[in-house]
Amino acid sequence: MSRAGWALVAIAVLSIAPLIYMARVSLGVGSSLPIAPSDWWTGGLTLDHYRALVSGSGIGRFAINSLIVTGIAVPLQILLSAAAGHALARSRFAGKGVTLGLATAFLILPRQVTLVPLYLLFAKLGLLDTYAGLILPHLADPFGVLFMAHYYQTLSPELEEAARTDGLSPRAIFWRIVLPLSGPGLAVVGVNGFLTTWNSFLHPLVLTTSESMRTLPVGLALFAQAEHSVDWGALLAGSTLATAPVLLAFLLFQRQIVEGLLQGSGR
Amino acid sequence: MSSRPVPGLLPWFACFAVFGLIPLLAALVLSFYSMNPLRPDLTHWIGASNYARAIGSPAFWHALRTTGIFVVGTLPVTLILSYIVAALLGRLRRGEALFRAAIFFPATLSMVVISLVFKSLYAEQGLLNGWLAALGFPRIHWLQDPRLALPSIMAMDVWASVGYYAILILAARKTLPLEQLEAARLEGLRPLQVERRIVLPHVKPVILFVVLLNTIRSFQIFIEVFVLTRGGPLDSTLTLVYHLYERAFYHFEMGYACAIAYILLALVGGILLLQRRFLSRSPAGAAAP
Repeated sequence: MSRAGWALVAIAVLSIAPLIYMARVSLGVGSSLPIAPSDWWTGGLTLDHYRALVSGSGIGRFAINSLIVTGIAVPLQILLSAAAGHALARSRFAGKGVTLGLATAFLILPRQVTLVPLYLLFAKLGLLDTYAGLILPHLADPFGVLFMAHYYQTLSPELEEAARTDGLSPRAIFWRIVLPLSGPGLAVVGVNGFLTTWNSFLHPLVLTTSESMRTLPVGLALFAQAEHSVDWGALLAGSTLATAPVLLAFLLFQRQIVEGLLQGSGR
Repeated sequence: MSSRPVPGLLPWFACFAVFGLIPLLAALVLSFYSMNPLRPDLTHWIGASNYARAIGSPAFWHALRTTGIFVVGTLPVTLILSYIVAALLGRLRRGEALFRAAIFFPATLSMVVISLVFKSLYAEQGLLNGWLAALGFPRIHWLQDPRLALPSIMAMDVWASVGYYAILILAARKTLPLEQLEAARLEGLRPLQVERRIVLPHVKPVILFVVLLNTIRSFQIFIEVFVLTRGGPLDSTLTLVYHLYERAFYHFEMGYACAIAYILLALVGGILLLQRRFLSRSPAGAAAP
C-alpha cells in the first residue's frame, strides 16, 4: 500500500478507535475504567451494564423518551416539509420571497436565541416536561422545507398538471401524485431530521424539569455529573445505546446524510 | 402555477412562526426588560441596561475571549487536517467509500456521546493517563488543570469536526474536471504544484465556507463545556452560550440572558456580512445567508 494509503488507515483508525473504546468499556466488568492498556484485551466481557439499563437505571427510560419524541417528530417533519416545500415550489403568492428568506436566515442563526422565550412560552402553556413540548420545536425546523422546495423545483410539474385537467383536487394530487414521487427528497429530510432530533440537547435540557421526561442525551449528560463517582460502564453503555440507531441510519443512508450536510443541514 | 392562498404551507408556517419567529422577536423585546420568572410581578423595562451590563461584565468578556482562543486554536488545525484528509481520499483509487465512511461517521454522532467518551479518555483513571502511567510518566489532570482544560476540549473538537469538513472539501474537489488535472500533469507539473496551482484555487470558496462555519460553530460551543467542565476550572472554559445558560437557568436573569443571545446573534451576523464581502456565493447553497 502507498504512503497515502497508510496515512488514511491511521486517520480512519483514529476516527473509530474512541467509539470502539466506548463499546469495549460498556461490555466490561465493573464500573471503573480500564486503567492499564493491557486491560483492554484481557478484561472479561459481559452484558451486565446493558441488563442494568433495561431493568433499573433511568437510562432505559431516557431511551424510550428519545424514541417517542423522534418517532413522532420525524414523520411530522417529513409531512410538513413535503406540503410546505411543494406549496413554495409550485405557487406564487404574496410573502413567498419573505418566507423563503426568513427560513434561510433561520438555518444559519444561532438557535440558542430562541431558548429563553421558548422556555417562558412553554411554562405559560404548561408544556414544560411534556412530549408535546419536546416535539413541537422540531416542527419549526426550516431545513426540510427549503430542501423540499428545491427538490420540487427540479421535478417537472407535467404529471400534476395532467392530473389537474383530469379533475383531481389539489389534495388528491398531493397525496396520490406528488408524495409518491418525493421518496428520494424525503429520505434526505427524514434521515437528517432523525439525526438532529435524536441528538438534540440544549432545548430538551431546558424544556424538561423532571428526571422521567429526559431524553437520552440530556439524561446521559446529567447522569455523568453525579456527585459521587461516575459509573462509567453504565454511562458508556448508555452512550453506545444512543449511538446504535445513528450507526444504523448511517449505514443505510450515508449518501442522504452527506447530501443533507452539503445542503446546510446539521449545523 | 396558482396564486391562491396555499394551504400546504400553513401547518409548517404556523409552527415556524410560533416556535421560531415569535420567540426570536420575543428575545429582542425581553432583552430590554429585567425579568425573573419566579417573580413575574417585578418584570419591568430597563432600556439598554442589560446590554450595558454585558459590555461592562468581566465574565462576558472572558467568555468572548475563550471563544476567540477556541477559534484561533482549532481553526487552522481542523482546516489543514480536513484538507489533507480530503486530498488523500480524493487520490484513492480503491476503497474510498470505506475510508470516507470511517472518517465521516463521527460527524453524525451526538456531541453528548462524543463528550462522554472523551471525558472517560481524559479521566483521572482514564485511558490516556493509563498509557502515560504505563510509560512511566505522571498522570495529567486534563480537565482539572485550568491551563489544560480548554486545549483538551479543543482537541476533542478537532477530532469531532475534521471528518465533516473533509467531506465538504472532498465534494468540491470532485467538481474539478479530470481533463484539467490531466492537462496539468502532461505539462509536467509535480503533484504538489498541481495541488497549489489548480486544486487549491478551485476549492477556495469551500475553504472560506469552512472557515466561516467553524467560526460560527465555535461561538455556539455549549454541550462540550456542559458535559466536560461546566465552565471551569476557574472559568477557563466558560463560553458565551454556557454563560447565557447559567444566567438564564441558574440565576433566572431572563432579560440579561436574552441580551447575551442578541449580542451572539449580532456577532454571528457580523461574521456572515464579512463573509459576504469575500464570497459572492457559498458552495452549500441552502446555508448561504
